[in-house]
Amino acid sequence: MQVEKFYYDNSTVKNFAFATILWGGIGMLVGLWAALQLVFPQLNITQYGSFGRLRPLHTNAVIFAFVGNGIFMGVYYSLQRLCKARMFSDKLSSIHFWGWQLIIVGAAITLPLGLTQGAEYAELIWPIDLAITIIWVVFGWNMFGTIIKRREKHLYVAIWFYIATFVTVAVLHIVRSGQLPYSFLQSYSWYSGVQDALVQWWYGHNAVAFFLTTPYLGLMYYFLPKAANRPVYSYKLSIIHFWSLIFLYIWAGPHHLLYTALPNWAQSLGIVFSVMLIFPSWGGMINGLLTLRGAWDRVRDDVILKFMVVAVTAYGMATFEGPMLSLKSVSAVSHYTDWIVAHVHVGALGWNGMLTFGVLYWLIPRIFKTDLYSKKLASNHFWLATLGILFYAIPMYWAGIQQSLMWKQFTEAGQLKYTFLETVTYMKPFYAMRSLGGTLYLAGVFIMFYNIYKTVKKGKLVANEEAEAAPLVKEYVKHTGEHWHRVIERKPIQLMLLSLVVILIGGAIELIPTFMIKSNVPTISSVKPYTPLELQGRDIYVREGCYVCHSQMIRPFRSETERYGEYSKAGEFIYDKPFQWGSKRTGPDLAREGTGNLKKSDGWHFRHFREPSSMSEGSIMPAYPFLIEQNIDTSITAAKINAMRSLGVPYEKGYEKFANQDLMTQANGIRINLKIEGIEVPANREVIALIAYMQRLGKDISNNKTPTTNK
Amino acid sequence: MFKFIKQYAETIDNVDVYPLISLFIFFIFFIVLLVLVKKMKKERVEILSNLPLENDELTNSNL
Repeated sequence: MQVEKFYYDNSTVKNFAFATILWGGIGMLVGLWAALQLVFPQLNITQYGSFGRLRPLHTNAVIFAFVGNGIFMGVYYSLQRLCKARMFSDKLSSIHFWGWQLIIVGAAITLPLGLTQGAEYAELIWPIDLAITIIWVVFGWNMFGTIIKRREKHLYVAIWFYIATFVTVAVLHIVRSGQLPYSFLQSYSWYSGVQDALVQWWYGHNAVAFFLTTPYLGLMYYFLPKAANRPVYSYKLSIIHFWSLIFLYIWAGPHHLLYTALPNWAQSLGIVFSVMLIFPSWGGMINGLLTLRGAWDRVRDDVILKFMVVAVTAYGMATFEGPMLSLKSVSAVSHYTDWIVAHVHVGALGWNGMLTFGVLYWLIPRIFKTDLYSKKLASNHFWLATLGILFYAIPMYWAGIQQSLMWKQFTEAGQLKYTFLETVTYMKPFYAMRSLGGTLYLAGVFIMFYNIYKTVKKGKLVANEEAEAAPLVKEYVKHTGEHWHRVIERKPIQLMLLSLVVILIGGAIELIPTFMIKSNVPTISSVKPYTPLELQGRDIYVREGCYVCHSQMIRPFRSETERYGEYSKAGEFIYDKPFQWGSKRTGPDLAREGTGNLKKSDGWHFRHFREPSSMSEGSIMPAYPFLIEQNIDTSITAAKINAMRSLGVPYEKGYEKFANQDLMTQANGIRINLKIEGIEVPANREVIALIAYMQRLGKDISNNKTPTTNK
Repeated sequence: MFKFIKQYAETIDNVDVYPLISLFIFFIFFIVLLVLVKKMKKERVEILSNLPLENDELTNSNL
């Protein structure tokens, strides 16, 4: 048969590779800065640089900019070679690349401005969500176009991982982005309270699964055999790995919500599937490591293999720890602490980071037709990164466990031994050590910048790499007794549809009953919608990213009910859009802030927002003096009330016309309270709205006369 | 949008049987997967696992 000559597109691969390096550096730098803010709160410079706004910037940059570009770099390189075809369309490749970079720039501008949806890893506002949808479709179109015009009959397992990534991320993104815009830039979530929480962690956990894991497993299955120059240990195992991983992962989300107000049956489903996940995950890790059987001696000299071995080992550690953390008894200790921060960084720095570096060092010299500038520098990078991970993770594990024990410690007289603030100041040295780990890791990245810059200077990009292959024979006669999987391997669309069905089962079984069965969220008659001022205050709470450090979810433990008050009930959150349960307690829980022992005066809150350490000595919370200067945006109150009403919050018809009057009346009340305490401030300032929201927290449940429980 | 689905789904009887159905699906799925993988032919596995290692330039497995 006549062979065809064609060219691989290396220039898009190069673009994505450079973007990976650039955004990786920036994302990690923001992370380091945020880490330092926890040691030196003075580093919270202006409202645009406060921890609550920078931490989402760090997570989004690392996940979607660093790893995102890393995925596309690896996919664009390996897909072309595995399909023996150039990418489907140069135009689509270009739209994909520039579109994704624009989205990242959009995120980097909007997040510091406080434009957020207030849901972890889904903070980006609705116009950006829309752009992500479009660019994701462009990516899928380009990928399927390439697969369809391929010259290789079989679809290698890496491509299945890419297909599953495409289809699942699309589903996750669409469901999580369900929102009703009330202005050009802002919106409220369709879901509220418990349902919003379930959607969030179904999304959040699967962002880890299908953005940070499956595409990188695809990269592992391609680049590890390439670097080791031997086939994967067991191809059969990779088939089982693929199907069981995507089947199980989608169910695991509720393990982020153990002991919360989420219905118990959903928590149990999440635990069972999380524990089972250890099998496919370790199957994958073993498959990766055993690929090096008989070649371990090369790991000593080959820095690329070193990076990859640490990456796969970190994957194994993180996926062993994950199921353990999903057990209720372990979650009781680990949830809300820095233990979880350690866990995710073993995954991010170890698995994603090290695999990305390995692929970069392998790929850049190849597309620039040269050798790596310096193996020595790459080796230095490797050791700095490995040490950095240790210096990061060990203090955080220590701190997390210690923190939890201190929260739960009672004196012999039966009282809590430590105030929350004491546990915070105890953390400071650990936060400092963690920053050191981050600095080492980042130093390695800067060495890589230099090394790759020099390599690129030395070589010349082969923008279009020549290759030859025979076209695929179109007419295919099905042999009798043909192997089942062969049919799927030849047909990418069927593979995509089967993956879609597999991931929809888990999602549907968890989400639908929680939405449909009213008894899953028992209502509490004393829970009322927020007043307009409280609603404005709540939106400021969301804007400032308070949920990054404060939970609003008291678990049913004596150590928590003693400290914060009655445990949280599902019915309390029915008007919360978005839910603000949080996932980390760098500061104390706020669910009962306006009631019981925790209630403070308006003046206390005012002074605390102006300078937290003036009220709580040693506090590491950022100061919010700008809230005292900025006015509440009352022009938008009516739009907010209308949007909430369309989403089912029972504000009376026509109330939007009077909402601002009520708002001012309530604000004046707070202004007078503050005046009595010797503070002069106009009633229309943002701090007044935030104080109103603080004083509302937990108040409804304290007015409730009938006892309530969770399902 | 959910309101629309909701009024139908609320009338489903025994919606709590979902978890049992899921266990059933899960079980069948994996048994079938394991059996089928076990039956894969050795030569095919060989071809597939060598796909990434073929020389990028001037190769062709279809010849």
